[in-house]
Formats: sequence, C-alpha cells, structure tokens
Amino acid sequence: MLSTRVGGLELESPLMTGSGTFGHDPLALSFLKEGDLGALVLKTVTPEPRTGNSPARMAEFPGGLLNSIGLENRGLEYWKESVAPLLEEVAVPVVGNAGGHTVEDFVAVSEAFSGMEGIAAVELNLSCPNVDGGLHFSTRADSAAEVVSACRRVLDKPLWVKLSPNVTDTVPLARACEESGADALTVCNTLLGLLVDWKSRKPLLGRGYGGVSGPAVLPIAMRLVHQVSSSVSIPVIASGGASRPEDVLAFLVAGASAVQIGTASFRRPDAISTIAAGMRSLLQKNGLVASDLVGSLKWDGGGEKPREN
Amino acid sequence: MAELAADTRVWTGKVTGKPACGPDTFVLELRLPEAIEPIAAGRFAMLSPAHGEGPVIPRPFSIYEQPDASTVTFLVQVIGPGTQALETVEMGEGVDCTLPLGRGFQDPDPSRELVMIAGGVGSAPFLGYGRQRVAEGAASNTTYFFGARTGDRLYDRSKFENQSFRTVLATDDGSLGFSGSVLDSLVEELDGGRVSREALFCACGPEGLLHAFAALCRERDLEGQISLETYMGCGYGVCNACPVPTRPDGALGHWPWAKSCLEGPVFPLEAVAF
Ligand SMILES: Cc1cc2nc3c(=O)[nH]c(=O)nc-3n(C[C@H](O)[C@H](O)[C@H](O)COP(=O)(O)OP(=O)(O)OC[C@H]3O[C@@H](n4cnc5c(N)ncnc54)[C@H](O)[C@@H]3O)c2cc1C
Ligand SMILES: Cc1cc2nc3c(=O)[nH]c(=O)nc-3n(C[C@H](O)[C@H](O)[C@H](O)COP(=O)(O)O)c2cc1C
Ligand code: FES
Repeated sequence: MLSTRVGGLELESPLMTGSGTFGHDPLALSFLKEGDLGALVLKTVTPEPRTGNSPARMAEFPGGLLNSIGLENRGLEYWKESVAPLLEEVAVPVVGNAGGHTVEDFVAVSEAFSGMEGIAAVELNLSCPNVDGGLHFSTRADSAAEVVSACRRVLDKPLWVKLSPNVTDTVPLARACEESGADALTVCNTLLGLLVDWKSRKPLLGRGYGGVSGPAVLPIAMRLVHQVSSSVSIPVIASGGASRPEDVLAFLVAGASAVQIGTASFRRPDAISTIAAGMRSLLQKNGLVASDLVGSLKWDGGGEKPREN
Repeated sequence: MAELAADTRVWTGKVTGKPACGPDTFVLELRLPEAIEPIAAGRFAMLSPAHGEGPVIPRPFSIYEQPDASTVTFLVQVIGPGTQALETVEMGEGVDCTLPLGRGFQDPDPSRELVMIAGGVGSAPFLGYGRQRVAEGAASNTTYFFGARTGDRLYDRSKFENQSFRTVLATDDGSLGFSGSVLDSLVEELDGGRVSREALFCACGPEGLLHAFAALCRERDLEGQISLETYMGCGYGVCNACPVPTRPDGALGHWPWAKSCLEGPVFPLEAVAF
C-alpha cells in the first residue's frame, strides 16, 4: 500500500529519515517496525573529521527548531571502518549522505560510497547552512552542475541531490542537477534563521545563524516540492516539517515521491512507524495506495478570481 | 563511539499521579504498558505530552522512583514551556516517554564510602541510588547531602530521611538543617573527618553547584562524578545537539565532544572539561 519508486530504488514505504536526524549509524532502527521505513538516510559524511560547532547547537521556538550542528562527523576513514560494516545487515536501503567544501570532497565521499555494498544510493548535501565555504554549490547552477557531474562519473548507484531553500529561485538549480545526471532531488534542507535572547542581546545559538526545521517550515517545503516537481522529470523527495500522516500524504499530492522525516523523530524515536500506521489507515479508508497520490494536485496554478465590482 | 543502550524503549505512559511536591514542583507518576527492569541511578527519560502540545522536542528527566515493575516517577520542576506542558497532562492521559536512556552513576563497591550531593531537584537520581546502597548493605557507608534555597525546596526530604543512610540537610536561608550551601556543609564534614576523602563523590544539581563541586574536587583531590543538565534535542544519540567537551587525555577518547545523552549524563570529572 505504501510502496514507491524513487530515483532508481524500489521502496517499501515513501518514508525516509532526514540526514542528521536519525544518527550516523543504523542503531536507532530498532525503534521502527519493519515495512514502515523506505530508506535510511544517514548523517552527512565529509572526507576529513569535523568537530562541529560550539554549543548551543539547538534552540526552539513555537513550531520548530533552529540548529547549527556544523556537520560533526568522524570523517570518511572512520566511517569506512566502523559504520560501513554495520550497513550490510540493514534490511532497508541505506542512503549515504556526502558533504564537503570542494568538488574533490564530494567526489571522494561519493567514490567511497560507490564501493560500499551496504550503500544503495547517495545523497549530496549541497545545502548545509551551518558550515563555512561551499555555499556556491547550493546557490549557483553552474557550481551545482559541476559537482553533480563529477560525482555522477565516479558513482554506479542512484545519485540524489539535496537542495537549499535559501535561494530566490530553486528551479534553475534543480534543472542543472537533473541535466548533470541526478536521479532524484531532495527538497529541501533547513532554512537559514536566527533566534535572539533579548535580555542578553545574544543569539541563542553559539554560531548565531542556524537552520530552521520542524512544522513551521512545512508550507515552504510544500511550495518548493510543487515548484521543483513541476519543473523536472526526476522524482522529488520532500523534506521539511512533516510530522503527521496527513503531511506526508499532502507532500505526495504536491509532487513528492517520498518524504523524509527529521525533527519529528526527536519527539519520539518511533515517529516514522506512527506516521506509517496513520497513512495506511487513511489510505485504506479512502481506497487508495500511496502512489495514486503522487503529483495529483488539483490546481492549474491559477486561483479563483475575486468578483469584479 | 558510544552506542544507544540495548534496553531503551519508547512508550506512552498513563498519568496515574501528579501530586505537588514543594513550590513549582510535582511528582509525575506514569504507568507503562509493560513491566520493566529496575533502572540504574542517574539514567533518564525523555518526556513529552502525548496529546502533541508543548515544545517540538521532549524534555529530559532523571528517573525518580520505580514504585512497581511498570510504574516510574519523575520529580518535575516547572520552569518553562516543556515542563508547563507536562503539568497540563491530566490523570489518565498519556505522556510519551523514551527510557531508560544514558549512563548512570558508577556503582562503587559496598566497602567504599559513597557521598551523594544534591541541589534542589538534583535530588531525583539519589533516592534510587541511596536505596541501591541500602540493598547492597552499604547504608552505613553512604551519606546524602541535600541542599536547597529554602526548606520547602528540600523535595520529599522525609523519603530520604527515612532511609538507613545518613542525610545531611542544608538551606541557604537557614530554615532547615545546616545554614548555607550544600557544599559548605560537605566541606565542614570533610574537615571534621566525618566524610572520608577516599569516598566517591557524586553530585547533581544546578550548573553553579556543579562548578563549585568540580573546583572542590580538584582542590582536595577527590574522585567526583557529576550529572550534567545538558540541553538535549533527542536524548537517544541521533541529533548531535548535546556535546560535552572532553579532556584530551581523559577516558572518553580523543574526540573533543562526548554526547551527553549516550555517554552521560553522568561523567567522571576527570573525563570532561567542565
Ligand atoms: C539528564 C537530565 C536529567 C534531568 N532531570 C531533571 C529532573 O529530574 N527534574 C527536573 O525538574 N529537571 C530535570 N532536568 C532539567 C529539565 O530537563 C529542564 O528543566 C527542562 O528541560 C526545562 O524545560 P522547559 O521547557 O520547562 O524550560 P525552558 O524554558 O526550555 O528551559 C529552562 C532551562 O532549562 C534548560 N533546558 C531547556 N530545554 C532543555 C532540554 N531539552 N534539555 C536540558 N535542558 C534544557 C534551558 O537551557 C534553560 O536553562 C534534567 C535535565 C537533564 C539533561
Ligand atoms: C539537528 C539537525 C541536524 C541535521 N543535519 C543534517 C545533515 O547532517 N545533513 C543534511 O543533509 N541535513 C541535515 N539536517 C536537515 C534535515 O535532514 C532536514 O532536511 C530538515 O531538518 C528539514 O526536515 P524536518 O523539518 O523534517 O526536520 C539536519 C536537521 C536537523 C534538525
Ligand atoms: S540529545 Fe540528540 S544526540 Fe544527544
């Protein structure tokens, strides 16, 4: 009932973890029931270890979170030795997420993922708002095209690209990624934001700016999913603010083939299973399967005109 | 790298009690759908109202008591949106809880003296810890220092006083027990020889107390453990929002951070740069 096809992969469910919200390894999978998760997307890996940003790394506001983790990870060598071997036992497809500052960085991680049996697909994180450098990959179509083509050449697996919402127009970037060989697009990463403590007159996060996630960003991600999926022919994976079964079904209607769950997993580690159960019951009641909904939005882009006086 | 504990589960517990317990504080009693094993002192749970209201992320609380195999309680001080949301959950309604999480206090040999030091709701892990010592026959080797601003903030103090280990009370306003900070009362007993420098010293409470405690341990060469109230996003190791700076030569390895939710919240003082 939930099965879907995304960028070269057959998935049992359209639900995935969002990179950086379900760990560096598969250990938290024990909270989820079989059949509920379509793919496990792991935390971004960079070629060199990154110690991440200084605390505070997370802050809250009604409706969401602001985070600036800074891609803390132990680097590719550690990953090859300690994480890759754990993946071969995992029942769902595992997606490696690659990060870096330069084309060479992304290529190095993609190349390593290419040779790992436990990795089914690769997602390029062109769009982390919380690190210095590499910003042009998420804001300039020519830079995005360069890195995607370079990774495409070294990769014999499906290649997904995670786009940034922090641009005026995402569509040219989405098209550039498609033309450079991307098999799917993840839309989108966190939105650049700032929270301030008025009394101390300081930002709540150690690094100041951070990425906004959670229910508050849902309509923005929904709009971007619609825009991007109307402009490219490769599948779109939604990411941003989904926490209820209805949110996921709405993302499918807006044009997504799959939906990543991030912040919602913090409240309950089994959130993905709860959402999957809710989706099954909603679909069953309406005599539908998930794939019926994909891109079924009844809207021609116009709106009802106000009555002329 | 630290791993998620094998016994961690996620439940929806039913509120079976929420009696007030001193100013701004109540005891949240949850009945779980299944029986669980006794939880080691110092481990914690992430809680949020099952009705979905309140902050986006859950809040961490030490396990307070396990009155029976399927009931756990928490001592909750209401200070902001997360704890206010928990307070509004009515009897019979649900609280989402992931538990047990993290690593608790080291369990020293019964023959070694244990000194527990709490400020305010920092007392939560020590009821269980103290009882564990009693069960091990180590009550005579165990002292509990319990401090707060005022006497009515020595939450549930009779529960501690009724145990067979020794409890020393301290209040900033002098309304109960020693007049002054809980650390001053500890120093007095160390100086008077009623507490041995060879004991294991375990502290939980506000950050200021923990800093003073760390300074005291360094100054007097005491072996100390602290339970840190680090800000947490998930509590089960997946978000990287809870970094605690490590010492380069310490037991936590060369990585500059430990995850408080997996490797803590209890840390040996010599392992963290606190
Ligand atoms: C391992 C652990 C055990 C704890 N045990 C207890 C306990 O037994 N009883 C008790 O009353 N309190 C306990 N706390 C503290 C409790 O988690 C905070 O008081 C609570 O999160 C505050 O949430 P709030 O929304 O009500 O207040 P807020 O207004 O959000 O915060 C008030 C203060 O609490 C801190 N805080 C906020 N969110 C978190 C968070 N997710 N994690 C940690 N700190 C936070 C803030 O930095 C701030 O200083 C424990 C904390 C930790 C980490
Ligand atoms: C704490 C945290 C860490 C994140 N780390 C990463 C990361 O390492 N790589 C990445 O591509 N996205 C990362 N993200 C973004 C999420 O994968 C997701 O795209 C975003 O949070 C929006 O979805 P949500 O509202 O469901 O959380 C992170 C998000 C959060 C909240
Ligand atoms: S609180 Fe999320 S990793 Fe520790």
